[in-house]
This record gives sequence, C-alpha cells and structure tokens, in this order.
Amino acid sequence: MTGWRLAGPDLTRWLEDLLRAGTRVIAPVEEDGRRVFKAVDAAARVCLLPGKTRWSPKEFVFPKTEALFSYVVQAGGVRLHAASVDPTEQVLFGVRPCDAAGLARLDATFLGGETDPLYARRRELTTVVSLVCAEAEPECFCTAVGGSPAGEDGSDLQLLPLDGGWLVRPLTPKGERLAAPLSGWAANASDEEWEQARASVRRVEESIRHSAVAQEWAALLESSFDSPVWEALGRRCLGCSICTYVCPSCSCFDVNDSGTVECGERCRSWDSCTFALFTRQASGHNPRPTQASRYRQRVLHKFAYFPQQHEGRFMCVGCGRCVKMCPVGMDVQEAVRMAVAASRGSGDAER
Amino acid sequence: MPSVDGERNPFQPNLVRIASAHDETPDVQTLQLEFLDPEAARQFRWEPGQFAEYSVFGVGESVLTVANSPTRAQHVECTLRAIGKVTRAIGALSVGQVLGLRGPYGNCFPVAQWRERNLVFVGGGIGMAALRAPLQFVLDKRADYGEILVLNGARSVADLVYKDEMNEWQAVDGVRVVRTVDPGGEAEGWDGEVGLIPSIFERLGLAPDGRVVIVCGPPVMLHYMFLALEKMGFTPDQVVTTLESKMKCGLGLCGRCNIGRSFVCREGPVYTWAQVRSLPEDS
Repeated sequence: MTGWRLAGPDLTRWLEDLLRAGTRVIAPVEEDGRRVFKAVDAAARVCLLPGKTRWSPKEFVFPKTEALFSYVVQAGGVRLHAASVDPTEQVLFGVRPCDAAGLARLDATFLGGETDPLYARRRELTTVVSLVCAEAEPECFCTAVGGSPAGEDGSDLQLLPLDGGWLVRPLTPKGERLAAPLSGWAANASDEEWEQARASVRRVEESIRHSAVAQEWAALLESSFDSPVWEALGRRCLGCSICTYVCPSCSCFDVNDSGTVECGERCRSWDSCTFALFTRQASGHNPRPTQASRYRQRVLHKFAYFPQQHEGRFMCVGCGRCVKMCPVGMDVQEAVRMAVAASRGSGDAER
Repeated sequence: MPSVDGERNPFQPNLVRIASAHDETPDVQTLQLEFLDPEAARQFRWEPGQFAEYSVFGVGESVLTVANSPTRAQHVECTLRAIGKVTRAIGALSVGQVLGLRGPYGNCFPVAQWRERNLVFVGGGIGMAALRAPLQFVLDKRADYGEILVLNGARSVADLVYKDEMNEWQAVDGVRVVRTVDPGGEAEGWDGEVGLIPSIFERLGLAPDGRVVIVCGPPVMLHYMFLALEKMGFTPDQVVTTLESKMKCGLGLCGRCNIGRSFVCREGPVYTWAQVRSLPEDS
C-alpha cells in the first residue's frame, strides 16, 4: 500500500493549505456539546476524535431543502430560472466509513437511473475523506450490513488513525488529486505503519458484536409482508421519522412550492415514508393507512427492495443512529430478524 | 431548455397555456393545453396511458394522465377533478392562463398487442380519464381492432364525464357504449343502466374468449371488478389496469409511489391484473 504518514502538525498544514486555496472544508466540529459537520475556517476547529457526528453529512450533497428552480409570474407571462449549484469545490473531511457508504447509496438512487442534475453537480464538486474508526460505539453495526470500520465504499481518500498521527491513503483519482501536495513534503508510510493501522481496524471490527444480516433474507423479508410481526412493530413506532432524518442513506423527498403565486421557488425537502401523509392521496385514500404499514415500508425498502435492485447492497450502512435516536428504542436489525423469523415460520427471532 | 448549470433539469416544467376548458361535471374539467415554445411541443411525444406533472406556480404540482391520444396531438389534454390543493387551483384558472407541464412519464397501454382483439373499456368516475387516450387511439385505428365495448359509470348522471364524446363513440361501427349510475344517482329521462359497474359488467355476460378488458376506477371498484372477472373466467393476463399511487417527482427518485419493489412512476402506471396480483397489498 502506498500513502503518507502525517503527524498532527502535518495534518493541520494540509488542511490550512486546502483552506487557503479556497476549498470549502466540511468537517466534524464540537458545538454546544454536539459533534456536527460544518464548514470550517481553521484546521484547529476539526475534531477527529473517536465517535460519530449527530447527523450524517448527507445534507452537503442532498440539502434538507433546496430550490429546483424559481418562478416569476407577471402580466407579461411566466419566467422560470434554473437552479444553480455553488461551484466551490468542497471536501467532506473526516467522514466515518458508514457515512461515506451512505453517500454511495445516495449515488445509487440519484445517479443510478434518472440522473438528478443537482445532486450530480454537488457530488462532482465533492471529495470525500473518510476517517477509519479507532473505536466503535455501542450502536454501531456496519459489519452486519457489509461494511467495515475501514470501509472504502463512497470514499475518495482514507485517513487511518495511528499513534500520534494518521496514514493517508488515496482510493480514487479525486483522492489522489487532493493528496498530491503531500508528495512534496510528507513522509511515506512504512509497511509497519500500515500493519499497525490494519491491526487497529481488526480490533475495532472484533468489538462490533452483531451477526450479519444475510443478503438472502431479502426474499424472506418480502414474503413477511402479511406477517403479524409488522402489527406488533407498528404499535411501538410513533411515526416521528427521526430514523429517516438521521439516516445517511434515506433519500425520499417532497416537492413543494415556496412563495406566492407571483414569485417563489419550487423546492424539494427531505421527507419520510413513516409519515401518514407521505402516501395519502387527494381522494383521502391512503395505501399505507397504519403505522405498521409505514414502518414495514421503511424496513423492506432498505433490506428487501433496494438490495434486489442494487446487487444485494442494503440501503442501510449500520451507523446505528436510528437505533440510538429512536424515542421508543426500536432497533431496525431486530425488526429485520423478527420478520425473517416470522417468514421462516419459527417463533423466535434469531440473534 | 430548462437546465442546471447546462445539464437538463427534469424538474423544471415547460410552459403551457390553457387553450380551452370544458366542464364535464360540476367538479371535473377537461383542459386543452398548448405549449408556449413550439420546440417543447415537438419534443413532448407520448403514448396512450402515460402521465405528466401539471403545476400552478406558487401552489404545486399534480400528476394526471394525458387524456388524449397521440393521434390527436394538436394539444395536450387533461381531465381533472378539483379535489386537492393543486387540482382546485388548476380548476380555478381561466383560458389563456399559464401552467407548468413536464413529462411524459411512465409506461403505456400495450395497444400494439391488442390488434385484432375485442376490447372492453371499463371506467368508473374520474377513472374514465385514463381510458380516453387508449380509446381515442383504437378508434383512430379502427380497422386494426375488433369490437369495442365501453362500460362507464359514475355516482350520478351529473358525475358522468365525456357525455358528448360517448355519443360520438356509440355511433362508430362496432362500438357499443353502456353507461350506468349508482342506485339513487339517476335523473329524470335517464335511459342508461342503474347499478354498480361490477354487477352491470356481470349482467353483460361477456365470454372471455380473447377479449382484453381495460379497467380504471377507484380501488374499491377494481376490487369488485377483479372478483367479477374471475367468476366469469377471465384470466389475469387479459385484464389491464392503472395504479394511481401518490407521486411527487415522476422520475423514480422521490420514493413514494412504490408498491413493493415496483415504482409506479417508472414501471407503471399500466399493469396487467396478473402483475397486480404479484404485488403486495400496498395500494
């Protein structure tokens, strides 16, 4: 493996150079006792300690609300103005591998079929620097859904933690471009250092104690559709949708006009399949009239429908935020196992 | 050309002007729309059964079928019931006012596969709007198709759509139109049937032999129509319907129209009854 070894001051130098060159650097910062992704103006603001941010960084490529175009209606007629994306290049720095994998899931949705031009443009301007995990958190289950604390999916460049510094490992041409200045002054990483980093990853992997969600379960989950297990789960779900808002891979959106009939914007905003209004038709008919049917949609989309259309990959990256944030303690993995068990006709969920 | 930094922006609609508006019922209208940009008009090519997104700026967008056949492409037509926020706003516009229109989206009726066969169009309420384009299409290519039966019903006589056109269709050789209203919905001088569509359909006693039945209407009507068709020996692959999920983007991106694995905006809205039966009960 090739790459560079950076001590703390080296990392600062690299980041400061990027900032000076006009690149927008978006990184985890500590703010009001929470860790969140923010555009930073100084390397010292960046927090690369173990742990993940409260929200995933998906809003920097898929904003919570964005204009699709604007309109002006006057006596002379209607004028539409195309939306445009700020052309500043941005680096998502210190993204956990699960969150980078979440971006890869968004890519599958927004670039895999009909290309979403706003998303595509933002993604083009974005380089993702993932930060390999030195510790897992209790809610983490990336290894159960095909990920890893050192997962490369969705990442252009990896930062591997090492005693007193980091290893820098480019994964894509974008990552190589970002790391290019390092070749002028940074030290090459040694074989021992790569091995040290790999050993650390193995330790973290072993600390994540969740058994795998099998790809073959997709079909079993689909056939659990009419199982009473969803009624039981639906009774607990409040329909608050926090699971969707914190999810790195959830991509559903609403389209609404913001403004008056004279001028305004047509916008899209994050939406959630766990809301009752999500599918309610103008006639009042709602194909998903119960919380059970809505919770089922969320789980089946992630673990049955999406994998069957995307080479077996789950639309879940195991960050565990939904588990951690759910006000009634619902666990998506547990729901999957219960539904699979119900489908197989055995009473007990396998753990 | 609508664009995002030079790329095509599929969310940005073309502008269309209301060329004419025809009241079908107290709350249903058929609009003829003409593109402001002739190039956009040339590019908007659709097949019977496809849908589009119609919008009022400042109010929002709504999904409606393109209600006329591409064989009559002077305008894009839509038939809408003023029932939701956007359809009420469209209904309140007058001739000459401008709407947004983007599309066409979705699959279409397999009209080529219907050649030489006898066709039965069964439309309930505003569901009849989805049948108008394929009906006009087969009427315009009359020699390619067998006998045509149209069974159309509504709650009341006042709620029946396309009243004038039904008379024109009825006059075409080999076309029969049967109209019905729900019990209690008849008016003075009503000479059509009285009864719910599935029971009138059963009473017609059609033999399945190779017929194609195209059924559009509210979910409860579809449910009882499928029961009637099964009882009469029709097979699931000779029955076609459209599914009307709520949609926002029309592009397979926004994630709300799926029934199981099937995104209605991309793989639908036209499904055979056989396909509907293989989908989960999520519609």
